[in-house]
Amino acid sequence: MATYAEMREIYEDIRNDFRYDHELNGCLNCGICTATCPAAHFYDFSPREIVQLLWTENVEQIYDAMQEKIWACAQCMTCAARCPFKNSPGGLIAIMREVSIKHGMQSAKDVLRPFGRVMLKLITTGNQLSPDMIQPDHFPDWGPNIQKVEGDLKTLRKAIPVRTLQTTDTAWEVSLKTSVEMYTIWEMTGVMDSLQIVDENLFDVIEDFIDEKREDYNDWLETQEDRKDD
Amino acid sequence: MKPTEQSPGNHNTSAQGAGAGTMKPGFHNTDGQGIAGHGSFFQPTNLSSADAAKATEWVRKQVDRRTLDLGERMDDIREHMWELEKDGQIIVHRVGDEHEPKMVKTLFGWDKKIPTKQLWHHKSCGQCGNIPGYPTSLLWFMNKFGYEPGKDYLDETDQTSCTAWNYHGSGIGNVESLAAVFLRNFHQAYVSGKQHGFELGHFYPLVHCGTSFGNYKEIRKYLIESAELREKVTKILGKLGRLVDGKLVIPEEIVHYSEWVHVMRNRIASELQTIDMSNIRVTMHVACHYYKMVHEDAIYDAETLNGNRTAIGTAIAEALGAQVIDYSTWYDCCGFGFRHIISEREFTRSFTMDRKIKVARQEANADVMIGNDTGCITTMDKNQWIGKAHGQNYQVPIMADVQLAALACGADPFKIVQLQWHASPCEELVEKMGIDWNKAKGNFEKYLKEVEQGNIEYLYNPELALGGKA
Repeated sequence: MATYAEMREIYEDIRNDFRYDHELNGCLNCGICTATCPAAHFYDFSPREIVQLLWTENVEQIYDAMQEKIWACAQCMTCAARCPFKNSPGGLIAIMREVSIKHGMQSAKDVLRPFGRVMLKLITTGNQLSPDMIQPDHFPDWGPNIQKVEGDLKTLRKAIPVRTLQTTDTAWEVSLKTSVEMYTIWEMTGVMDSLQIVDENLFDVIEDFIDEKREDYNDWLETQEDRKDD
Repeated sequence: MKPTEQSPGNHNTSAQGAGAGTMKPGFHNTDGQGIAGHGSFFQPTNLSSADAAKATEWVRKQVDRRTLDLGERMDDIREHMWELEKDGQIIVHRVGDEHEPKMVKTLFGWDKKIPTKQLWHHKSCGQCGNIPGYPTSLLWFMNKFGYEPGKDYLDETDQTSCTAWNYHGSGIGNVESLAAVFLRNFHQAYVSGKQHGFELGHFYPLVHCGTSFGNYKEIRKYLIESAELREKVTKILGKLGRLVDGKLVIPEEIVHYSEWVHVMRNRIASELQTIDMSNIRVTMHVACHYYKMVHEDAIYDAETLNGNRTAIGTAIAEALGAQVIDYSTWYDCCGFGFRHIISEREFTRSFTMDRKIKVARQEANADVMIGNDTGCITTMDKNQWIGKAHGQNYQVPIMADVQLAALACGADPFKIVQLQWHASPCEELVEKMGIDWNKAKGNFEKYLKEVEQGNIEYLYNPELALGGKA
């Protein structure tokens, strides 16, 4: 359990995000946000409650809500479209999630563990999912007819009449130079630091992958130089 | 009048003292005064007919859905972009005449330019990975209109996803990273024409993904409003060599593929349609991130759904002559939830079955549910089978607006529309449209043998994707 001072610091981090004043303008407790919220149908979650906690600066209950409730939100932003005050409860939750990661909250680590596969794919390739992730053994609840034509994945992907899509381990072919530029963005914006906080092992795997890709890119650059010299 | 005299609750059922104009049957008097049950503080105006009409007109104007909101008080971020450009801080990638734009109206009646030509396809990871019939149908349409690959459109490998799926799912990432990714991709779109012999800005980005569309608009707003954010990302883009004359490139309009389909709908129907759609019952699910994020930028049309809901999707289905059927959960999200579809699937499948599939089947008896985004199509398409486990045996074919339009225009259900990747019963829709599913499937299976031999049919010369010539 965090001390009051730690909880206050977490709240201040949320409050100091420059988006905060865009996302929270006041609240009359009308509950339109909760009435229209898909997550409120199935979870002990209410966007109205989150907004009220922030609006009243209830730092202890904000901390409690960050343990589990903020992860129920589906980020559809229906609440934001409906709020008469032009609040964005979904936007506030995005800020709270970022802050929970920054503070290394165990709840964030637990929630994100099963999402590691997507993070690995995204951070290394710039695509968030790939055809080889969407296979029947990964999604048994999608049923036996997950696709309508039998055949190996590689051939079926080759049958897509667009070169960029004839891939199996990325959604589309991303050039090596593009990937390397993206790694620089991750590093310069603190994304790699966040990843390290959430999952040290995943971070190590991704670091190795990035190093390898950078070497590949440098090798490619050298080949280009050699060609020029020739 | 003393405050106590306004106290509600003391209902007068005899309608005595209702003031001028006796209470009409069915209305409820609250406390013996006032009109139409609104309470004693509501008094008749005794206006002349002409004045009453004038007053009513004024009130109607005020409560019109497009002005009731903050439209008049809301900033149009694009105006600030021009100021920043004038100050020499940014370069605005313009939608020029060469992009042959069509003008549309957005939520508050503002104008938005939709470029129709010289488009840089900014792909969607969910579409390309899971529903490839989205981009293939779109490119097929462009070819059908005689667009020249490499000049009128470009699909290349120098792009990443917006990374917002991950951000909304996990909270890993931040405004700065999202902004840098946005600006990097859009810079590439701006300069991409050069290697093909064109000027800067030749190709205009066409965003395929709904979440990318919403995310990019939100991030553009933050970039315009925050000098600090611009300063931070300028350093990053500088390091990447992604500035033009030391400046950030920001697009005049952020344009979604479904907006292209929308403005081309009448040409699609009049020039390309080959199949009568009048017996097809269509329900529409518009992606939340299309019209609920930066909602002032979504397209509305007084002739579609009375201008009360975004026209996207509905308008193309109507242009094709299909029956568009309304349903009570139209505004609901699909249940995708970003992280939920991966690791909290009970929520995703329950919500989509309860609030979308079951309703489309029971209320609308839909032949098809169309959408305009990645996650929605995946969620609604893939989560029908599991409904049987809870006695919810409801099935509806699911596909994108552009896929349905391509079918109506004679595109091959497998080679182009790529329905083989869908789990929902699309074959039922295809058969109802008069297309022989089994024959098309048989032809495609033969084609797969050709593919194995390396004989692949392309929509454009594959070298183009890698910077080669058309």
